[in-house]
Amino acid sequence: MKTGILTKPEIQELFSSMITKNGEESRIFVPATIEGRVILEEFSPEREIFYDFANFLRPPKGIFFPQREVLCSFEQERAVEVPPAAGRIIIFGIRPCDARSFLFLDKIFSAGSSGFADPYYLGRRENSVIISLSCIEPSEGCFCTSLGGGPGDESGSDIVAFDLGDRLLFEAHSAKGENFIEENTTEFRQPDAADQNAKKESLQAAFNAISRISTDGLVEKLDDDFSDSFWEEITATCLGCGVCTYLCPTCHCFDITDEKDRDGTGTRVRTWDSCQYPLFTMHASGHNPRAEKKQRMRQRIMHKFSYTPRTTGDVFCVGCGRCVRKCPVNLDIREVIRKINGE
Amino acid sequence: MQNPYMPSPVTIEQIDIENDLKDIKTFRLKFEREEDSRRFNYKPGQFAELSLFGFGESPIGIASSPTEEGYLLFSIKKTGTVTSELHNSEQGRKMGIRGPFGNSFPWDRMKGKNIVIVSGGFAFTTLRSAIIYMMDARNRGDYKNITAVYGARSPGEFLYKKELKKWQQSEDIDLTLTIDRQAEEEWDGSVGLVPSVLKDVSPSAENSIALVCGPPVMIHFTVPVLLELGFRKEDIILSLENRMKCGIGKCGRCNIGHKYVCVDGPVFTFSELEKLQTE
Ligand SMILES: Cc1cc2nc3c(=O)[nH]c(=O)nc-3n(C[C@H](O)[C@H](O)[C@H](O)COP(=O)(O)OP(=O)(O)OC[C@H]3O[C@@H](n4cnc5c(N)ncnc54)[C@H](O)[C@@H]3O)c2cc1C
Ligand code: SF4
Ligand code: SF4
Ligand code: FES
Repeated sequence: MKTGILTKPEIQELFSSMITKNGEESRIFVPATIEGRVILEEFSPEREIFYDFANFLRPPKGIFFPQREVLCSFEQERAVEVPPAAGRIIIFGIRPCDARSFLFLDKIFSAGSSGFADPYYLGRRENSVIISLSCIEPSEGCFCTSLGGGPGDESGSDIVAFDLGDRLLFEAHSAKGENFIEENTTEFRQPDAADQNAKKESLQAAFNAISRISTDGLVEKLDDDFSDSFWEEITATCLGCGVCTYLCPTCHCFDITDEKDRDGTGTRVRTWDSCQYPLFTMHASGHNPRAEKKQRMRQRIMHKFSYTPRTTGDVFCVGCGRCVRKCPVNLDIREVIRKINGE
Repeated sequence: MQNPYMPSPVTIEQIDIENDLKDIKTFRLKFEREEDSRRFNYKPGQFAELSLFGFGESPIGIASSPTEEGYLLFSIKKTGTVTSELHNSEQGRKMGIRGPFGNSFPWDRMKGKNIVIVSGGFAFTTLRSAIIYMMDARNRGDYKNITAVYGARSPGEFLYKKELKKWQQSEDIDLTLTIDRQAEEEWDGSVGLVPSVLKDVSPSAENSIALVCGPPVMIHFTVPVLLELGFRKEDIILSLENRMKCGIGKCGRCNIGHKYVCVDGPVFTFSELEKLQTE
């Protein structure tokens, strides 16, 4: 495994030099603060990388799967293809849980799932490098370790970086990651024993702070037909706002709508959508297979913990805890799982 | 990479009003580019996404048969934004099409079998495709008896009246048409709802497969009749119409249990659906 150490100012310099390098343009996304909020923002040399945060409010899926994007434009009743912007994408500083979510999204948007590949998502994703940042202080609501992840987990990351205070330890976990370190090898120093120790300690502290649920045999348990009243009870206070799905790094449902100007030109756009809205499944006849809240929440839980395990082999939850923290009525997905477990 | 979201350009060549209520029209579409036409290989039971730019897309079952070369047919009921705009369209209008999508009727399994077709209302569209396909001289030998029961509210509400007339006179298909209740117009077909007429026709379940397309109530009462006649659950074939957007298993809305109707369906056996509905 290729490894390397950089001080925080060196990282700032490295990214500044990478925006345009060898004639190739890169869009680099880094943690930054804007008006007191930590967000994943496009890097420029003036933008200072921010390290003191737990996680971003928004999941990073929007970089590859924007909340709103134009699929094609049209004029004179003819569609014109609008390809996604070319160029390399480097994402630095997302948490390991979110890096892991990309592996799941990859399965949905590649041809493997249905025979159709999604050129918009894949066009961006294929030319990307993911450098995740291990967790030091997990938040209330995090439960990644129950779902196969962890504060220093490498799945989905080309490189995992460990914050050791004034410096970062980089570990490559893919050919892309190795190349990245190789290409910039003059800047990296080799880690020593003190660096490795500091990494271990920070990981252990984070690990201990993460809440746990049991997912043993969950797919089989969900095969039992839970009664309507089970789902009704769980969703009694749900507002149907959809926040839990918009903020979820693995939720990928979308809508397609046309926007037209007076002169007849316009665009076909794709926007994030949510299974928590009744119109999502409303038939043209007015019939709705998921007309009620309890049916829609059941869909959300079943999709993540029963359907995708069958169709892709993965539970579509990385335990990032966003839905736990941000649900306005504190509907906690961990509690739902515990109830299904009979706890 | 082929972009599955990009519609291919087609022109509306012809528009026919199908019924007395004038809310169902059949659109005959022709590809503008020869290569798109060649690539659009379909089997009866599949659907396509029809595009009117600025209005949106609608999933519509393909009513023509691959044996009818050079054009595609879609019979469309005026419902909402896209379908109303289609109804306002005139011959010559340019639009877009994506597809073909979904599975089809189980053509491999249907070979060598008696085929029973049961339909009500305007859901007959993909069954028109299936009948034309089987009745084609190149294919007819692959299937044994073809029996069809098709019901409509009144005589004027049947689709494809020209074809129905031809089939009524044909030796190759045993077609029963039925209307819900006695009409004021002249009517020499059956009177009664599809499930009870099906019971009267009583097709043998021996070596048979039934294709059933119609409104939910009709299906609800037709399946028990077929089971009673001895059809196995896996030999009763149904087609679903869930709300769709992408048509390619990505947008997440058309699922029933762990299957997507747009790619794993729209055609399912009754036994598959029974399992999926509890998921
Ligand atoms: C596989 C498949 C095959 C099909 N085959 C056929 C076919 O052969 N022929 C055919 O005619 N149809 C067919 N359909 C149905 C067809 O796709 C729909 O009728 C069509 O998409 C309706 O589109 P629209 O834009 O006209 O309606 P929309 O404008 O999308 O509206 C759909 C319905 O929802 C209602 N609606 C929309 N927005 C709202 C809102 N905000 N609040 C409340 N209600 C709302 C509308 O009033 C309307 O009734 C098929 C569907 C599927 C899935
Ligand atoms: S965030 Fe909470 S209230 Fe909003 S839809 Fe999700 S569970 Fe319901
Ligand atoms: S379901 Fe909740 S905890 Fe799981 S990945 Fe989505 S937002 Fe995170
Ligand atoms: S229509 Fe998008 S998943 Fe089926």
